[in-house]
Amino acid sequence: MSLEKKDDFDHYGWLKTKDLTPIESVFLTTLVFLDRRLRIVDYLELLEDAYYKVNLQMPKSHTEQYDLDNKFWYWYPLYSLGFFSTLAYIVAAVSGALLGFYYAPTAAGDPSAAYNSIEMIMTELQFGFALRSIHRWAAQIMMAAVFLHMLRVYFTGSYKEPRELNWLLGIILISLSMVFGYTGYLLPWNQLAFWAGQIGVEMALATPIVGEWAAQLLFGGFTLGQATLIRMYILHVFVLPFVVTALIALHIGIVWVQGIAEPH
Amino acid sequence: MSENETTDDARTDGGETGIVAPDDEVPTWSERKERKAGLSRLTYEYFERSRREDQDLRNESDYVERDVLGFPTWPHEIIRNLSISMFFVGMIVLIAAALPPSLEAPADPSSTPEIILPDWYLYWSFGLLKLNPLNPGLAVLDGGKLLSDQLYGVLANVVVVGAVALLPYLNKGSARRPVEQPFWASIGVGGAVFSITIAALAVQNLIPLPLPLQLNIVFVFPVVAGIITYAVLKTMREGYMYGLNRRYYMLRPPK
Repeated sequence: MSLEKKDDFDHYGWLKTKDLTPIESVFLTTLVFLDRRLRIVDYLELLEDAYYKVNLQMPKSHTEQYDLDNKFWYWYPLYSLGFFSTLAYIVAAVSGALLGFYYAPTAAGDPSAAYNSIEMIMTELQFGFALRSIHRWAAQIMMAAVFLHMLRVYFTGSYKEPRELNWLLGIILISLSMVFGYTGYLLPWNQLAFWAGQIGVEMALATPIVGEWAAQLLFGGFTLGQATLIRMYILHVFVLPFVVTALIALHIGIVWVQGIAEPH
Repeated sequence: MSENETTDDARTDGGETGIVAPDDEVPTWSERKERKAGLSRLTYEYFERSRREDQDLRNESDYVERDVLGFPTWPHEIIRNLSISMFFVGMIVLIAAALPPSLEAPADPSSTPEIILPDWYLYWSFGLLKLNPLNPGLAVLDGGKLLSDQLYGVLANVVVVGAVALLPYLNKGSARRPVEQPFWASIGVGGAVFSITIAALAVQNLIPLPLPLQLNIVFVFPVVAGIITYAVLKTMREGYMYGLNRRYYMLRPPK
């Protein structure tokens, strides 16, 4: 077998034979350029498929088909709860990123650098007070919306057959959100934070077999201190944001694929 | 749809679906790319089959095509969503401005505060941790407990979350509305009420009731709420809602 370079198709010669407008020739030249390097042709099938899907006409929903809006209209405001929790999550993410510029996850100091930084945010930082308030309330509202969303899903039977996976995913998400809230609750390193952390350690230690291991992993030991604070911080600003955001995307993606479950 | 159909008014099956079969120009999977061998070949053969199956089902179905496009995403849907979103974010900012958070005293390991509480959404879990009065002492163990009080509380959490996770496997079927399944609706209401009463147990030291009475309330209120729900929904079955459209479950839903 020869390793000699074979002749390529003369795409540019082909372009010259055609009578193209400037826009067309720029487009085709770019396309050929990119395709020679990135093999766009391999992905054409995906694009093509998307094109035909987009151009499919919208089917009627069950409600539309049987004209049930007049019967079940009172459910529909509750269908926005999932969207609201996502929105509150985004608000919390943005305000949290801003707070992260000023917060110091350090238990050392008098009384502690973490506490002092929160105090600085609330008393000296321009808009810091508002920022913390928005972050906290966005988190609270997200949790409230998530719980109500869960109730709506329960009472409209939306967790049933093709959607069990998303129900399980929702349980994982609500648990992780509570961990999110818990880790954030510990960060100010005030009395409430410290003793909530103490309960967490005791809960972990009460668990048989994995208890001590879990306490060391999550709280960095059996007594609270710098190790606990930094672990809560990393969980809150690094681990959970990635995990929870990815799971939310998956959760919504599954809803998108499966369609909204309406009451019959 | 049968041939002897009369007028649109008489139709109770909801009429047309809006499914539009792909036209001749849509290439088949095999036309898009020929696969010669191996797993990819099998995959494409399978896709081909399932597409054909869908098409057959569509052809067989009673639904009729319609040629009306859906609600436009832009501008209608986008503007509606934007206005809802902006209102909602505005509400968050408003509440945040009206009710700012406080910063308590700094952490002090040497003084245990009187009230230890997590955020409100963890009260139910915290309340489950305080179920230790129900942890039975066993006569065999001289009144000793099989599980430590803390483990008992942790297990209570596991049981509750596990029960919620098992839900789709316990309650199957196509019923969607609470009226159709009064039992499961009353379980739901009972659960929701339990999450509140058990949360009250978390703050038991703030509630001026004796502990035994409060423990009774924790478990009796949800049961009462469930029974009331059941009765109400059973009564509602007499109304027009119940028989509304059960027969449509037989039909294949639109794709």
